Amino acid sequence: MTALRQAQGPGTPIQGVTLYSFTRAFHGREYDLEGLIRKVAADGYGPGLEIIGFSSFRGFPDVDDAFAGWFRDLVDEVGLVTTSLAVNADIGIHRDRLLNQDELIAYMRRQIAAAAKLGFPIARVQISIEPDSMEALAPIAEEYGVTLALEVHADQYASHPRILALRDRYEKVGSPFLGFTMDWGATVSGFAPSLIEAYRRRGASEELLGKVVDLWDEFYQQGPPADQADHGQRFGRFIGLAAQNGRPDLGIDFGINGTGLFGPARVDDWLEIMPWVKHVHGKFFGIDENGEEPSVPVRDLVKLLVENGYNGAISSEYEGWHWNHWQSPFDIIAGEQAVQRSAAENAGSRMTTDAAAARTQLAAWLPRTEGANA
Amino acid sequence: MIPDRIIEQGTLTTRGARAAVEVRIPWYRALPASCIAGAGLTIDGVAAPTESLRWQMNGREFTFADMVDNTDEWWFPVDSAVLSGDLDIDPDAEHEVSVDLTLYIPYIVISDSEVLHIEEHDTKTMTARQEVAA
Repeated sequence: MTALRQAQGPGTPIQGVTLYSFTRAFHGREYDLEGLIRKVAADGYGPGLEIIGFSSFRGFPDVDDAFAGWFRDLVDEVGLVTTSLAVNADIGIHRDRLLNQDELIAYMRRQIAAAAKLGFPIARVQISIEPDSMEALAPIAEEYGVTLALEVHADQYASHPRILALRDRYEKVGSPFLGFTMDWGATVSGFAPSLIEAYRRRGASEELLGKVVDLWDEFYQQGPPADQADHGQRFGRFIGLAAQNGRPDLGIDFGINGTGLFGPARVDDWLEIMPWVKHVHGKFFGIDENGEEPSVPVRDLVKLLVENGYNGAISSEYEGWHWNHWQSPFDIIAGEQAVQRSAAENAGSRMTTDAAAARTQLAAWLPRTEGANA
Repeated sequence: MIPDRIIEQGTLTTRGARAAVEVRIPWYRALPASCIAGAGLTIDGVAAPTESLRWQMNGREFTFADMVDNTDEWWFPVDSAVLSGDLDIDPDAEHEVSVDLTLYIPYIVISDSEVLHIEEHDTKTMTARQEVAA
């Protein structure tokens, strides 16, 4: 299937952004939803627009006709293209028990319907949805004309047993509406320097910071964790390191970020699932003084996508906002998108940045259901 | 995730023997009332009695027991909730306010029977404002 796509020529991924990148600005009431969408368009972070339903839409997943009309008109007016609506499987919404399968399917149906109503052709779902549930959701996805793209996110990675089990189920089910969202955080090449700087500002010693980087590098050399037990052991090593160096307060933070944000798989691991990659989170953490992402191999990842004929969208997903309070996310995201464009050109292609072209390209990239989502 | 914003600066009010402060969600997405597991309000080192704590959200007031089963009311990321409790403080004086918050993150499943819960804290200093009965 990979060879088939190569025969079709290089891909031209659609440039875009997820509003998650601007979480601090939205949460801090610097921009409301309309203001943020207008800024994304005006500053050229699109044309692709990804939104998290429960972050940006009050009352989600209930969406009334007036709101849906207002939203679609706004997106059209400013020249953006809705790509993915990030939805959540809130399996633990009841304090005393987890949702059963029927409740989960009903919960997801409402969000898939919301995606269709708001004009998103993709719904990003998460790893808590297991193969049986994805199979049960396939006809619902088809009914609404919305592709379900399950996010492959650290501490998982493409060749992780849970992801391969999903891939194998997709193959068996055979629905073009089931796929994956590739999150670049699974294939990181270093502990983000901006997070090291944030720990420095919290008083961590250079000696401790050096050991944190060394420990992450050790895990990178070993490759990604084989299973959840291996993942847990690595988490524990970060906690132990903080405790042994007089900063037990930083241990959980080291563990969460060192294992859950900076996944140490190699870029070519994505080939395991490449034919099912329908959407991409261009996860990154910062841009250095040379204009490059120092810990995410953005150029290699874009090259991989181009060479494999990927014609979907890449949502730039800036995650450095958790700790970087001293730099504007807007400048940093512009910097990362410049790297993406340069990488696509170096690979003999380009990013799609024109809205009309992106709309046509995305429609051809994704499956359609006759009559639905019109 | 965003613990530095839990307490809204300048929102401490006192009314009779009760004190209240506006709080913001330290997470990037809305959570239902059922996932707001508990809170603590401490002013100048004195904690409000647990049974006196009330949570106001979307124009309605709840006890934490009320919220356990409530999946209809949601805490939206740009909205303030109001945490109040029995604390008799001086109006027009400066106070150190601390809020502890326990949230369940309903989509991050960590075992066959439970999801992630997070405990976040924030402390800010501000002057109280006296509220008069309407």
